[in-house]
This record gives sequence, structure tokens and C-alpha cells, in this order.
Amino acid sequence: MSTRKLEPFTIVSIIGVSFAVLACAIPFWMIISGSFTSETKLATTGYSLFPDFDFTAYKMILTGPAVLDAYLASLFITGVGTALSLAVTSGLSWAIARRLPGISRPLTIFSYLPMLFSGGLVPLYLLVTQYLHLQNSYFSVILPLLVMPFLVFVQVSAFRQLPESIFESAKIDGAGELRIFFTIALPLSKPILAVVGLFYAVHYWNDWFMALLFIDDPHKAPLPLVLQNLISNISFTQMLPQLAEAATPVYQLRLALTAVAIGPILLAYPFAQRYFVKGITLGATKG
Amino acid sequence: MSTLQTRQEPQTRPPSAPPRRRRRTRGPAARAAWSVGLLALPAVVYFVVFNYLPMAGLVVAFKEFDVNLGIFDSPWNGLENFRYFLESGDAARILFNTLFLNVLFLGATLAAGILLAIMLNEIRSTFFKRVSQSVVFFPYFVSPVVISIILQVLLAGATGGGGAVNDAMSVFGLPSVDWYTEPGPWPWILTVVKIWQLGGYLSVIFLAAITGIPEEVYEAGMIDGASRAQMAWRITLPLLKPTAAVLLVLGVGRIFYGDFGTIYAIIGDNGTLFENTDVIDTYVFRALRQLGDFGTTAAIGLFQSVVGFILVVIAVMIQRKYSKETSIL
Repeated sequence: MSTRKLEPFTIVSIIGVSFAVLACAIPFWMIISGSFTSETKLATTGYSLFPDFDFTAYKMILTGPAVLDAYLASLFITGVGTALSLAVTSGLSWAIARRLPGISRPLTIFSYLPMLFSGGLVPLYLLVTQYLHLQNSYFSVILPLLVMPFLVFVQVSAFRQLPESIFESAKIDGAGELRIFFTIALPLSKPILAVVGLFYAVHYWNDWFMALLFIDDPHKAPLPLVLQNLISNISFTQMLPQLAEAATPVYQLRLALTAVAIGPILLAYPFAQRYFVKGITLGATKG
Repeated sequence: MSTLQTRQEPQTRPPSAPPRRRRRTRGPAARAAWSVGLLALPAVVYFVVFNYLPMAGLVVAFKEFDVNLGIFDSPWNGLENFRYFLESGDAARILFNTLFLNVLFLGATLAAGILLAIMLNEIRSTFFKRVSQSVVFFPYFVSPVVISIILQVLLAGATGGGGAVNDAMSVFGLPSVDWYTEPGPWPWILTVVKIWQLGGYLSVIFLAAITGIPEEVYEAGMIDGASRAQMAWRITLPLLKPTAAVLLVLGVGRIFYGDFGTIYAIIGDNGTLFENTDVIDTYVFRALRQLGDFGTTAAIGLFQSVVGFILVVIAVMIQRKYSKETSIL
């Protein structure tokens, strides 16, 4: 294969892919570079491709409590949410994957039906605020997002790839279903648990819709919601140009916060990337 | 809630201990069913509370909702909520926007995903291929809020009239545009955003499908003297149809649901852009937040769910007829 000569289409492809890579990478570079650029310089250009190592915004972030609160809120939501989601999804997926008569099939329909028909925003809002009284609790963000049917898909197909014979012999040795699940199936499924867990973690880390609906205490707002609020404030200052010259580097601060919000994903991504690809491939080919 | 608690009670028992005093669980098969059911119980509770109860809550659509009375004691008002929405003058505009934007997004992202996958497949250097796949996949993991900020950097800069795009346009002698007050180009801007966000993700799916195509097909093509471009066009593309069909069906099923996350994060409450960007979901959210009008917003939600459901069923039926082996349900 390596001796094949380079055809025009291959060259076009290399150029096309390179273009796509640049289009995906440059915006992030502009954010990170901009977050290290002084407000006065940003005010004239709006972005920067070459940082001038101005740390004002990061100093403000590290000294002010607001961002720390937001970070802790995001960490709690992501950590607790991912753990709960993973536990609940695994149990459900196992029950579906076992193909038990009278249980697995109804459960499948029961779990996938919400993908097709939902009550919509208003009943959910009333449920969380009027009946469960979860307003301003982190669980108002976690619970509505607890199970993603797509990830149930992924995990069911992964469970079904485990060799049936192990479970049969465990059964003969007298192991019950729960024992098989906890001591055999789960330990064998560590890679897929990583895949599903990572998807949930990203989901919780990025969520701002639930937070927007249910959290109005600024001390409890997770990072994306704080960012969103900052956007609204910026568009406000845009209308009043004299405020752009004020002491607070609002614009640089916003870029720095964005960098802080993408930071963990960016750092974990090189290691997690292959799991994501694996998860999508499983969901797409086996679903 | 009391029924839920009594059902969860056995969880405290050690897993190996057989449940006593239960006739139905005597047989091994029944006991297996019981334990597995227990594993699924938390998920079932979740679906009942957060998915099925809200469906029942849709009766609000037919009521004049009063917070003090709650959902079920508020007085009925028939189809008044629906009439109010349809006569408000916003209905046609937001329905059109929702459908138009979703058709644009669906077509553009699928095309971009396929194109990117085919181009990635051409690359022989494993290192370059892996790195570029990782980079184009990355935007999928970024919050819409972050995308919104990136877009402001590109389109507005710090002063509103600046931004990288305007700077680039001035290089070519084009006048600078105040993007955030100009509703015209926004459907296209949002489409570019969706391509940026989902193109890499979809290319991963399509690349997985391409990997599944047997090598012999390409060898046969090579023997017949096909160029790489011809093989991509005549072999790869047709063989990606089933995957594309599944994604299309899923997309069509969601076509009545506006992309709230992305659109609201980017547009927010910028009223000058509503003309071209306001979709059902953003409209409902604002109506709920600003007017506190539960009845009308629930009516819109119900309308959306019913039409959406009918569309999914039709789409799945068409897709099943078209290719039996790739049906999704």
C-alpha cells in the first residue's frame, strides 16, 4: 500500500483535513492567547494571536471567591452526577442486556420511549420547582440528566459482547444474578464504564440549561452559567462604551474564564479521546 | 412515595441471601428476574419521575394554571392556551424558523461529517490521521456557552464592530459588518457553528462505518483501474447510505425541537435577531421566564411533542421499508 503514488484526491484530502484542523484549533488558541493579553490591547483588536503574558485576569480569578464557588459547584455536579449516572445506567443496561423474558423487552421500550415523546419544559420545571423543591440545589442539575438513553444503548451492547459462558459457569457454581453483576460483569466492563462515565462527565461539566432553569443563587451557579451571565454583562457594557475603559478587564476576564472552563476537558482529552471514539463506534454500529 | 420505599427496602439485604416469604421468587428463574429487576429499579424510578410524570403534567396545556392550586386543581380552560398561541402572530415565524434551521443543520452537518470522514480515510499517516481526528472531534465536547464566546471574539471583538472576521474581510476590502444587529446572515452563521460543533463527531461515526467496508471491494475497484476519487464517490459514498439514513431518521425525529442550548447561548435575549433565529424552544423558555405563562408554554410543548412523535414514527417506518437490516428500534 505504501508504494502507491499520491493521487490528486489524496492531496485534496490532506489539504481539506488540514483546513478543518486549523478551523477547529485556532478559535481555542484565540481564547487562550487572548486571556493572556492585556485589556487595553484587546479593546482595539478584540482578539490576539500572540499573547503578551498579562496575568491580570487570572489573578482576579484566583483571588476572587466567585470563580472558586463556580468551580466547586461544577466539580460537585460533575463528580456526584457522573457517579450516580454510571450506577443507575449500569443497572438498567445489565437488566436489558440479560435478555430475561418478561423483563428486558419491556424495560427497553420503557427506557427508549422518553426519547420519542417528552412532556417538555413546563411540566419538568413545575415538577422540579413545585413538587420536588430542588431549586438552588445541585441535584436540580443532576437528577433531570441522570440517564441518557444513548449511553444505555452503548452499555447494553458492550454488556452483550461479554462471553455468556462465564455467567453460565458462575451460575452453576451457585452465584446469583447480583453477584454475577457485581463481581464478574462490572469488573470485566471497566473500559466501557470509562467510556460512559466520560460522556456523562462532559455532559454535566458543560450543562448550563438545567442550571439556568433551576439555580438563581449566584453562589451556587456552576461555571457555564457564570460564563453565560458574564456574556450578558459584556453585551451590556458593549452598549455603553465608556464602561469598556473601566478598571476591571471585563473582556480579558471573560476569555480567562472560558479558558478555565475548557481547561479540564482540554487536559483530559488526549487521554480520554480514544474512549470517546470507542463509545461512539459501539453506539453507532451496534445500536 | 411510600410505595417506592417499600419496594426499595429489600436492597438492604445482602445480595446472596434469598428473599424469604415470597412465593413467586422460589424458582431460580423468578429469583434471577427479581434481582435483575432490582438493578433496574433506580432507573425505572428516574424514568417515572422525570419522564412519565411530566407527560401527565401536560394537562397544564388545557388549564388556566394557578401556582397556588397546583397542576391538577387549576381550572380547565379547554383549547384557550392553544388559541392564544396560534393567534399571537409568533406561531408561524417560530415554527418556520425551527423547521428551516433544523433542516439546514441536519443537511449541513451530515454532509460535512461524510466529507470529513472520506477525507480522513484518505490519509495514510496514522499519526496525522489520529491527531487530526482528535482535533476535529474536540468542539463536540465544548459547552455552547464557550462557543458563544468564541463567536463573539470572531464576530464582535471587544468593541462590537470589530472581531477577527471583520478584520479578515477588511483585508479583502470588504466593509465591516455589525453582526449582532443584522438578522439576515444568522441562519448561515448558526449553520457554520453546527458544522464546527458536530462535523468531527459525525466524521467519527462515518469513519467507523468506512472501516467496516470490506477491503476486497476496494481491491476490485483498484483492479478495474479506479482512481481514489472514483472509489470514494462510487464505493464509499453509497455504502455510507445506511449509516446516514439512521442519523437522518434520528434527526428528522428531532426536527421539531429547536436547538435551545446552542441558539440561546449565542443569541440570548438579543431581540434584533429573533426574526431569523427564534425557535420553539427559545420562545417557550422566554415565555416561561419573562411572562410566567405556564398554560400557553405547556400547550406549545404538547403540540411540539405530538408533531415530533408523529414525525419520528413516519421516519422510522420509511427507514424500515428502505433498509430492513439497519432499523433503529
